[in-house]
Amino acid sequence: MAVQKKPGAGSSLRTFYIALAVVAVGGIAALGYAVLGNRGAADKPVELVGIENVRQLYELAKPEVLGDPSTPVKIVEFGDFQCPACRDFAMQVKPLLKERFFDTGKAHLVYYDFPLMEIHPHAFLAARASRCAADQGRYWEYHDLMYSRQHQWAYSRTSPVGAFTDLAKELGLDGGAFESCLKSDKHADVVTANRRLGEELRLTGTPTLIINNRRINNWSNVDALIQLIETSIGEGGA
Amino acid sequence: MSSAAPAETRVEAVSAPSPPIHRMAVALLSLVGLFISAYLLLHKLGAIGSLACGTGSCDTVQASPWAVFLGVPVPAWGVAGYGLLLAVSLVGLQPGLWGSRRVGRALVVLGAGAFGFSAYLTAIEAFVIHAWCRWCVGSAVVATLIFIFTLGELIRPGSR
Repeated sequence: MAVQKKPGAGSSLRTFYIALAVVAVGGIAALGYAVLGNRGAADKPVELVGIENVRQLYELAKPEVLGDPSTPVKIVEFGDFQCPACRDFAMQVKPLLKERFFDTGKAHLVYYDFPLMEIHPHAFLAARASRCAADQGRYWEYHDLMYSRQHQWAYSRTSPVGAFTDLAKELGLDGGAFESCLKSDKHADVVTANRRLGEELRLTGTPTLIINNRRINNWSNVDALIQLIETSIGEGGA
Repeated sequence: MSSAAPAETRVEAVSAPSPPIHRMAVALLSLVGLFISAYLLLHKLGAIGSLACGTGSCDTVQASPWAVFLGVPVPAWGVAGYGLLLAVSLVGLQPGLWGSRRVGRALVVLGAGAFGFSAYLTAIEAFVIHAWCRWCVGSAVVATLIFIFTLGELIRPGSR
């Protein structure tokens, strides 16, 4: 009687090693795609081509407006989404002003970005994120959510693209469109123009408020701030 | 006239032991877990800007204080754990070690550790952070399957 060895052992090991190699190659390819595919979310100012004067900067900056822009009193804010004082202003002072002046047609707020990337590495990206939300018509809701959740992303050692996208989804925005916007350089020129405007005005910090061309140094004294706005309204916005 | 009887040929099915299938499964699953952990670790290190998370909240989970364990990012523990499981299971698939109880015991201990740690992290997601990261859940499923397959070591006769 001749005895043959069963061929199954070597065959099953060979199949196993082929499967292992397929998983390894697929995994490495997926990781490579993930690493390379996530580059491109502009988080720094870009070169502005064809901008030669401040008027052109103003035109490119496209600030966001809260309230009726035809009201005579204009409150300009230069803010930085990663700045704690700006968060305090957005969370504690702006709601008071909104109720008292913006919703009642007495004044309006004009918001410019002044991202201080030197101390706030995510500020530029955050400003772009807010513009991506504006593309879907939800700027101010996103603005407020970004500030109220500042603690969740401001201290992240990695790029908060995902955190910003989560916030957009939380508001019910189209997450795919938002993420595509954020992972591109869209609005980088606009945010850069905002920043350069602030530099032209020689701003030294954020938030900086300008009420009818008068710079306000102590916005945290809310009573004085409200009094000042009332006075401006009384003067007819002069 | 006489004729010789035809030679009888028979396939011997019992003399050659087969490689342990459950160790193959552990090795493959460990490699999958290794890539999931590496993906999360690369994100933690800043090499990947955002995680492909669909409807989940991966960044919320990754940015939470529970994303670090004993001073080391959780995904790094995953890379180490799955890497160790992969290495031990591959060693256990070498022909001379198919029946090794020592390798089997190591796999059971590592599998139980991976399962326990994943269960802890999943509970943190569910009851503390209240957010889900699909990659973390995927890793927990992989760890659970690995643990189930390592239990095969307990019912398999071994050499020592």
